[in-house]
Amino acid sequence: MRKLSAAVFVINIIYSLNSFASPDIQPNMVHEKVLKNGLKVLVKEDRRAPVMVSQIWYKVGASYEHDGITGLSHVLEHMMFQGTDNLEPGEFSKIIAENGGRENAFTGADYTAYFQTMEASRLEVSMKLEAERMHKLKLQEKEFVKELQVVMEERRMRTEDKPQGQTYEYFKALAYTSSPYRNPIIGWMQDLEDMQVADLAAWYKQWYSPNNATLVIVGDVDKEQVFSLAEQYFAAIPAAVFKPVKKRIEVPQLGIRRSIIKQKAQVPYLLMGFKVPVLNSVDDDADIYALEVLSGILSGGNSARLASNIIRGSQVASSASAGYDMNARLPTLFLFDGSPAQGYTAAQLEEALLDQVKQLQTNLVEEKELSRIKAQVIASSVYEKDSNFYQGMQLGMLETVGVGWQKADEYVDKVKTVTAKQLRDVAKKYLIEDHLTVVHMQPEEISNAN
Amino acid sequence: MRINLAILLGFVTLLVSTHSVAVPVIQHWKTDNGASVYFVPTNGLPILDAQLVFDAGSTRDANKNGVAALTSALLDQGAAGQSAQQIAEKLESVGAQMGVSTSRDFTSISYRSLTDDEALQTSWGVLNDVLNKPDFPAVGFKRERKRTLLGIKKRQESPATLAQLALYREIYNNHPYANAIQGVEETVSALEVIDLKQFYQQYYVANNLTVVLVGGVTQEQAKKMVQELVGSLPAGKKASLLPEVNADIEGKTIHQEYPSQQTHLMYSLPVLKQNDPDYFPLYVGNHILGGSGFSSRIVKEIREERGLAYSAYSYFRPMRENGPFLIGLQTRNEKVTEASTAVKQTLQTFIQQGPTDEELTVAKKNIMGGFALKLDSNKKLLANVVGIVTSGVPLDYLNSYTQKVAAVTQEQIRRAFQQRVMMNNMVMVTVGQSVEQKTNVD
Repeated sequence: MRKLSAAVFVINIIYSLNSFASPDIQPNMVHEKVLKNGLKVLVKEDRRAPVMVSQIWYKVGASYEHDGITGLSHVLEHMMFQGTDNLEPGEFSKIIAENGGRENAFTGADYTAYFQTMEASRLEVSMKLEAERMHKLKLQEKEFVKELQVVMEERRMRTEDKPQGQTYEYFKALAYTSSPYRNPIIGWMQDLEDMQVADLAAWYKQWYSPNNATLVIVGDVDKEQVFSLAEQYFAAIPAAVFKPVKKRIEVPQLGIRRSIIKQKAQVPYLLMGFKVPVLNSVDDDADIYALEVLSGILSGGNSARLASNIIRGSQVASSASAGYDMNARLPTLFLFDGSPAQGYTAAQLEEALLDQVKQLQTNLVEEKELSRIKAQVIASSVYEKDSNFYQGMQLGMLETVGVGWQKADEYVDKVKTVTAKQLRDVAKKYLIEDHLTVVHMQPEEISNAN
Repeated sequence: MRINLAILLGFVTLLVSTHSVAVPVIQHWKTDNGASVYFVPTNGLPILDAQLVFDAGSTRDANKNGVAALTSALLDQGAAGQSAQQIAEKLESVGAQMGVSTSRDFTSISYRSLTDDEALQTSWGVLNDVLNKPDFPAVGFKRERKRTLLGIKKRQESPATLAQLALYREIYNNHPYANAIQGVEETVSALEVIDLKQFYQQYYVANNLTVVLVGGVTQEQAKKMVQELVGSLPAGKKASLLPEVNADIEGKTIHQEYPSQQTHLMYSLPVLKQNDPDYFPLYVGNHILGGSGFSSRIVKEIREERGLAYSAYSYFRPMRENGPFLIGLQTRNEKVTEASTAVKQTLQTFIQQGPTDEELTVAKKNIMGGFALKLDSNKKLLANVVGIVTSGVPLDYLNSYTQKVAAVTQEQIRRAFQQRVMMNNMVMVTVGQSVEQKTNVD
């Protein structure tokens, strides 16, 4: 517990039905304003407690990087706490702390985001500081050398010494060919070793500007006041000229891919993924919502199929789940993962999971089962309102990946329209062997553990 | 810009003392059969959260280590003649959520539902069955035992987990806190259904139960629902007092070889009970030492100065009996000597000298200025109320919280650390590969 992190970082989102929902029951309006320099400001007033969260989202992350510079977005995120023209290294955090705030940042494949949670009257403190580091970051060699060591320690902790973490890294590199999703968010160790402070300076210059950012404020705030503060602190920052981002669309997969990853581990582990589209990659979104519900049918709770059929029923799995991130910027994977129960192999678990897929392709899901998933989605959309932070995440993420924050409002209604036939159709259309990648993690003897 | 920031800061700090946060009033009653109930009504969201806390943590395992955790895992695997599938379907058909967890001190059942009639009646009914009529079916028992055994095996993959297990074994020695919550292979393999049933009968009783409700129902509703839920539980007996933790442990260093790239380091001793008179000086002091991220000394020394770790921290964890004070980090194997030297040095200096005046002021601003953040959602409210009522502090604890923080002095912190954190008694555990050390000691 109490992990200190300049970077919480979103790796493997394997649950998805808790995701994006509409303010059905209590319509908290979202207010939008775009400043002349392109900064988009979103405000959601929620007056339950005298607090607010301020998040600034930049359209840059690991999927914007290319080979040789992987991990750059994330290291830059760390450096954003290490001083600006007017702030000493660490001073940003010190000021937030003195104002009773909690702060952090996270880097994903498609975004880099910074946030402060504070008592509501401190909004101005956070805005002023974020405006400062949007255009006045001071990258210093001494701080960089030290912070790079910190990031390498972070990588060792999350990946090198975590058998499942490392397996996931190799899995992605096998599944994707030309998509930038093949690279780890934290970067390959060699790329971290080769990184120079000049690389960071160029990256910062390229991506950190008001017209590449979204400011999201949720809490006990007044929208007009937020807009006027945003104007006051951000309006003077010049917009940058952007070249269009390269599309880098994944080439078609022409047959199943599989691999074995050996790890110093005790328990075998299986990862499988089918190539699937996302909201941002299609015009007609019907299939996307169907895939979303499909992941719920498989993995949305203890009554869902994986828990029911292969953890409890056949007892082939000790754990198993399915997941789909419909809000990725680029086409992604419909994932399965799990560990076989004692006495079963990863191959047997694979067979059991594929059998579940086959049933979805063959038989219609029962109406009762479908409505249970929908009920969970509707309830979750209310539960999410208990957290300002989560509400801000929804808006910031949808906006940053290119889908648009308005999609949050459609989510529940779109999920409600999904039919059993659509589920069978998307299972047949997308969950096909030629588009599948399978990795078995094989435990190797740990020789010197006692 | 620099000057402006300073002005702004000066301005907002004035607000620290004047701003007031609405502190919830906790309503309290007892059921006839002896369960303690606490309720905080909230407006705004149609959600009800509940937590049922039994004094039935792994400390109650006796010689059947793992029985508390496995008992709680079985509750929703069959109840009132329904299968695990039927229970899950009923609950999830109205979007409600339920979970169980076991710690050393407690077993908790947590529950969340929408408050419309259908959702509430259905899900509360499920909770009722699971609590009052668990069947402990043989097939579910065998499966969950097997899954627990695999989880125990999997602990061997994680140097962080191994370090924590070794540490608790060492600092708690013969005390029940020394044992792993899930148990070990030998003890879990030996468990039978009858052990779980006996454990349930002894500890899942009204006198051993605390119920906390937070959410959008009236007090009248809450009373009726709680009566329905726990009214027919046997009164039973409150669990006996735990043995005291032996404070006089022998300081030592223990290394466990593991083929990882990092060594996980933990440095610890048992210190703090719930509701301890030294709590506030120790809490505020630790905030400065290693409890507040970037502004804390340990992070500055280990991460910001030396780049030795991603995560470095310290905490006091108050428990029923003395819970640990713990400093932790993980660093590349060749730097563990440098890191452990720096950690010891930082702690020693802090114990000797205490915090500076400026550090104390900043810490108070952070804790007091962030007070509203502790209570800004139903989830956090629930966690706070559970913490208050299970630790035995007065129900108006939150009302005087910021005053108590404000009253802490440098001298109190120094004295509390000197009296309570005895470095001679501290145990250091490292798990990683022994390699030649590359040390930069200044």
